Amino acid sequence: MTTSTKCLLACIDGSDLSNVVIEHAIWLAKNSQSPVKFLHTIEHSHRTENAHHEGTITPNMKEHLLDELSDEERSESKQLIAEGKVILNNAQKMAEQAGLTDIIAKQRHGTLPETLADLEDEIAMVVLGSKGEDHDGNRKGLGSQLEGAIRAIHSPVFIVKSTAFSEPKKLMFAYNGSPTSKIALEFIKRGTFCTQSLEVHVVSVQKNLADAEQLIEEAKAVLAEGNINITTKALTGDTIDELTAYQQQNNIDTTAMGAFSHGKVHGLIFGSFTTRMLLECSTNFLLIR
Amino acid sequence: MLLSAKHDWLGNIRGDILAGIVVALALVPEAIAFSIIAGVDPKVGLYASFAIAVMIAVVGGRAGMISAATAATALLMVTLVKDHGLQYLLAATVVAGILQIVAGYLNLHKFMSFISKSVMTGFLNALAILIFMAQLPELTNVTWHVYALTAMGLGIIYLFPYVPKIGQLLPSPLVNIIVVTLVVYYMGIDVRTIGDMGELPDTLPIFLWPDVPLNLETLSIVLPYSISIAIVGLLESLMTANVIDELTDTESDKKRECKGQGIANIGSGLIGGMAGCAMIGQSIINVKSGGRGRLSTLVAGTFLLILVVFLNDILSIVPMAALVAVMIMVSIGTFNWNSLKELKTNPTSASAVMVATVIVVVWTHNLAFGVFTGILIGSLFMAQRLSQFMYVESAYDDGTDTRTYQVVGQVFFNSSDKFIGFFDFKEAVDKIVIDVHRAHFWDITGVAALDKVVIKLRREGADVSIIGLNEASETLLDKFAVHDKPEEIEKIMGGH
Repeated sequence: MTTSTKCLLACIDGSDLSNVVIEHAIWLAKNSQSPVKFLHTIEHSHRTENAHHEGTITPNMKEHLLDELSDEERSESKQLIAEGKVILNNAQKMAEQAGLTDIIAKQRHGTLPETLADLEDEIAMVVLGSKGEDHDGNRKGLGSQLEGAIRAIHSPVFIVKSTAFSEPKKLMFAYNGSPTSKIALEFIKRGTFCTQSLEVHVVSVQKNLADAEQLIEEAKAVLAEGNINITTKALTGDTIDELTAYQQQNNIDTTAMGAFSHGKVHGLIFGSFTTRMLLECSTNFLLIR
Repeated sequence: MLLSAKHDWLGNIRGDILAGIVVALALVPEAIAFSIIAGVDPKVGLYASFAIAVMIAVVGGRAGMISAATAATALLMVTLVKDHGLQYLLAATVVAGILQIVAGYLNLHKFMSFISKSVMTGFLNALAILIFMAQLPELTNVTWHVYALTAMGLGIIYLFPYVPKIGQLLPSPLVNIIVVTLVVYYMGIDVRTIGDMGELPDTLPIFLWPDVPLNLETLSIVLPYSISIAIVGLLESLMTANVIDELTDTESDKKRECKGQGIANIGSGLIGGMAGCAMIGQSIINVKSGGRGRLSTLVAGTFLLILVVFLNDILSIVPMAALVAVMIMVSIGTFNWNSLKELKTNPTSASAVMVATVIVVVWTHNLAFGVFTGILIGSLFMAQRLSQFMYVESAYDDGTDTRTYQVVGQVFFNSSDKFIGFFDFKEAVDKIVIDVHRAHFWDITGVAALDKVVIKLRREGADVSIIGLNEASETLLDKFAVHDKPEEIEKIMGGH
């Protein structure tokens, strides 16, 4: 697989957001001229509907139980695979209608994070919805697999939060000088995917203005090498409040930032900045690790 | 990892709670029976089952597996309890736990790959036989009432699940206990009860340091027992983990399981419980009852304690006959009856390994000895088979008066005599060529055999040359890393 060109991987599961994810993936694929791959994962519940509570140990119990459970899971699998095929066909059709030619559809068993980790070598960028089929109707909140999926890989991840597709126009890049935000800066400088066609706003929020301005200068210098046209803004105050306010004032539709620079334990104790941003800010996200 | 931890605990709440309760009900009679096997008060096994189940739920490596006091470990304690008493058993339990933690850090779980299917079948069959034999004292020198009650109990256990509706709701072993107890109580039959076998728990367990002198003498008493307990406990736990992995199509962390078993045993020993391990039967019951997550194990342990502490008065009047019926069911269910049929159809070597494992275990009452015997015999059979993959072709060239031997296959300790036998030392020729490029010399015995052949042929006056020794001896190096690289294996084994 290492020889094939890396592709844009769109993760779809038939939830409310799936179609918006597909449309964003098509847009991103067109902009970057990379092949698009639609991925549907088949997750077993590994639960049984017919539990027996008789509590006896009977001869050949293991063999009987194994037969029963594998039959049960087989029919569950078959159903999930069939459902997934419909979802993937729909995505493929949408991509063909949009004029894309290099389209692959793929189904794999396993959770989203483990599947992404398995496929990491083939991925240039991942597009996924902020929440999956289990969370339909739950308007606020993030999917339970989202953080795991983002942490599973080191490719950039485009997270779709908007419930309808509109072409991305304005990108806000939150820059704080951390190692992951420096990686993000390099990514934007390269101008692959969306970044060359967007209006890029580099925003830095720090405790004092001088620090913020210095970071802006740093970013400006790097992006100038990449010939990216930017608007900049140095701000002070609470990072999340200021970024959200700036986003609303300027009609920003996509937020780019370095993501999860701290480990999971840190996130558990202090709360992850990335997670809070994802919750508070209503734009789509481009997360770079 | 945290995400998976959450799923392990809360992924299946309703199923886990129900299954945990079913398991707790099934654990109570077993824990009492295993205490009796070990020769201690029933409370020792019950506290152990509580402590081990609750702790392994948190620290174990296999979600949904049930660990508690077990027959396999109880059998190893009999003489320790008889000669030195309960406090030494508690000390041995703590030491066994420490050894298991060490085994976990040393990655000893990897040695499980040596245990073949035949050894595992032998292990379970032997366990079943020993559990059955342990019931015999309750069935000898007793009145006919006991036989009648035991038969009634077995009838209830096996037939109750066929009763429409309620048959699937109530665990039949529990129904057996209730019915047999009521019969004995109301008919006033004079038979032995659980209360006669020793103390039942009347309080929650308390932390207690084993009351033994902390010196080398104590260690020398408990260590042999601790080693056996640690090994047998890990064997049964890892086997059970494999069974549950297979049943649920999920993976477990074997290293964490080893360390977890150790922590659980230390905890058990410190609250007055005996050593235990994972239980194959109970773990399958748990999965069958819908248990999948860690919560099921936690519920099983907690509910067991609540049950016995609050119901100890009732528990003490339960006739031993009801308990014996449960244990006969466990024994019948643990035995792999298909393996008897397979004795005829399986290869003789597989059957020999299984039977040898059973015989050694039943003889020594130590499952570890049986497993070692099984592994040893199995390995010998394997070596014997590999020897068959070796032959030497020879050709004679008249013009140059040269005899060429071409060696093909595996030369090692077991095939070296056969290797030597292929050469004709009486033949008078000018030149002899031994071509070994299609052979593999696996150990120094194989190389020594080649040396011996060369020297012998030289003595007969021939010029001996060897071709392809470099390729043939590559297998001599203990390069275990080779296993990770297919192209390396191809280089060495290619052409065979």
